[in-house]
Amino acid sequence: LISGDLNLDSTLPSKLPPPPVFRSSAAPPPQGSPASRRARDDTMVGLSEGEKHFIRGGIAQDLRADGRRRLQFRALTVETGIIPQANGSARVRMGATEVIASVKAELGKPTILHPDKGKVSIYVDCSPTAAPMFEGRGSEELSAELSVGLQRCLLGGKSGAGAAIDLSSLIVVEGKACWDLYIDGLVVSSDGNLLDALAAAIKVALSDTGIPKVNVSLNNETDGEPEVDISDEEFLQFDTSGVPVIITLTKVGKHYIVDATSEEESQMSSAVSVSVNSHGQICGLTKRGGAGLDPSVIFDMISVAKNVSQRFYTLLESAFAAAEAVADE
Amino acid sequence: RGHGTTDQDGEVVATLCGVVERVNKLVYVRTLRARYKPEVGDIIVGRVIEIAPKRWRLEINFSQDAVLMLSSMNLPDGIQRRRTAVDELNMRSIFEENDVVCAEVRGFQHDGSLHLQARSQKYGKLQRGQLLTVPAYLVKRRKLHFHHLEQYDVDLILGCNGFIWVGEHVVVREIADLKEDEQKLSAEAETFTPIETRRHICRLANAARLLSALGFTLTVELIIQTAEASVSSNVEINDMLGAEFYVQTAEGEAKRRGDLLGKKR
Repeated sequence: LISGDLNLDSTLPSKLPPPPVFRSSAAPPPQGSPASRRARDDTMVGLSEGEKHFIRGGIAQDLRADGRRRLQFRALTVETGIIPQANGSARVRMGATEVIASVKAELGKPTILHPDKGKVSIYVDCSPTAAPMFEGRGSEELSAELSVGLQRCLLGGKSGAGAAIDLSSLIVVEGKACWDLYIDGLVVSSDGNLLDALAAAIKVALSDTGIPKVNVSLNNETDGEPEVDISDEEFLQFDTSGVPVIITLTKVGKHYIVDATSEEESQMSSAVSVSVNSHGQICGLTKRGGAGLDPSVIFDMISVAKNVSQRFYTLLESAFAAAEAVADE
Repeated sequence: RGHGTTDQDGEVVATLCGVVERVNKLVYVRTLRARYKPEVGDIIVGRVIEIAPKRWRLEINFSQDAVLMLSSMNLPDGIQRRRTAVDELNMRSIFEENDVVCAEVRGFQHDGSLHLQARSQKYGKLQRGQLLTVPAYLVKRRKLHFHHLEQYDVDLILGCNGFIWVGEHVVVREIADLKEDEQKLSAEAETFTPIETRRHICRLANAARLLSALGFTLTVELIIQTAEASVSSNVEINDMLGAEFYVQTAEGEAKRRGDLLGKKR
């Protein structure tokens, strides 16, 4: 019964997700019934009222379920160079959340509007190993949300202004050839705080990226198209000091917490993700969640995020240094 | 010749990697990471996932969901009587979806799923605490699974299926009082768990997480010992999940086992 359901995915209307595979006892509930609505809303195992009360109480009393304070992060581990075929890659683990980011660089042509800038595209995918509901098309909404959030924080506006990655450094021959960076994120295991982990992984992957050096020879015979010789030996490293990290503040009740687990996220009223660079400047802002926020609250959250980002930078740097030390051994 | 073995040229050969166990003449191989194997009389902790006619379906760490019949549950007014249709309609007032329930295994149904009962006063809905999931083989069957830790005022329930409940101590009382409790839950801020109890709950929960990550069998004594060791070493509650305390706990346990072996000899 269960394996048959998975094959029906392509024929069902797109808004019905495949039934979660671990419900071995029940037949797939009819659409619209309370059971199917519950199955769709469940991002993870549900929580009873008593547990939700416990989580809210913990956040109010500054002692969360695993003993952390409100503004404390989980243990952060970083690994670099895990995908040898990519130009740069990184795996970041924050508690049970695990994400992988990879950077691939390919030669392409710059757009006519911006002949002096390279191109970067960011895309996030959620692996079905993270949660049963990510199977098939279940993860589309979340992937799109994460991709857009990251693009907003790292790539700036439509005109390319305010981008964290200096696009002009990606140019090879103005107007003719440039580097296209394809940044891909993969969510391997999801336990809350995906945006922060992905941004950290992208930052580390960019630090690990090596763009091969190119020798350009302008050849009059080939219609003005330059011949580009990609060298295999020399690599250019990226300067990632300008790349920001994202701090997500989840508001539960009257307090904000940082680095929420998925249980804590289920209790949130709203969440604000602020992307801050190492100079303390804000590069992007995203608000999620249905509850409205007073503007003064948003200002407060932004200042809290800026303070927290300093600590996160040091955490990330020490984790990255530890990863490099391991890689050198 | 039981599970995990096969007959090869007249010799009994193991097909799985694990520990060889013998019961009278039956030889079987028990794998180290075995799925939960329920037995009658096991105390388990489960989560309600569905309310079906005259029964609740609970998720326990098993291949199938367990069933808790309405007739196996004490009614709110405490009277022993036949369950009527009104009782059936009011099932949600006893247990709702996603509630955490403690129950005992009564038997197996014909298709292999479990039948549960929660007739005694100490079984029932669990509130005000947190639920942890550990691999089921780490919880061995003992005489006692409910532990009321007086010094912390905390209830610790080690479900045989690997669900562990750490929560505030609930005084066993008539279920009629439960209605008051529900209303109290909604008037929240005054009734949050007191901070001291919460600290103990978090410490014990972290001790359990730590021990399960290290792969040690979970017993109350070990959990309490680990929590106390963390207090005496002045480890912050959230640092209990950090590398240093892991190493410290593992070393402590190794030393303890070494002493035990030394004493046996």
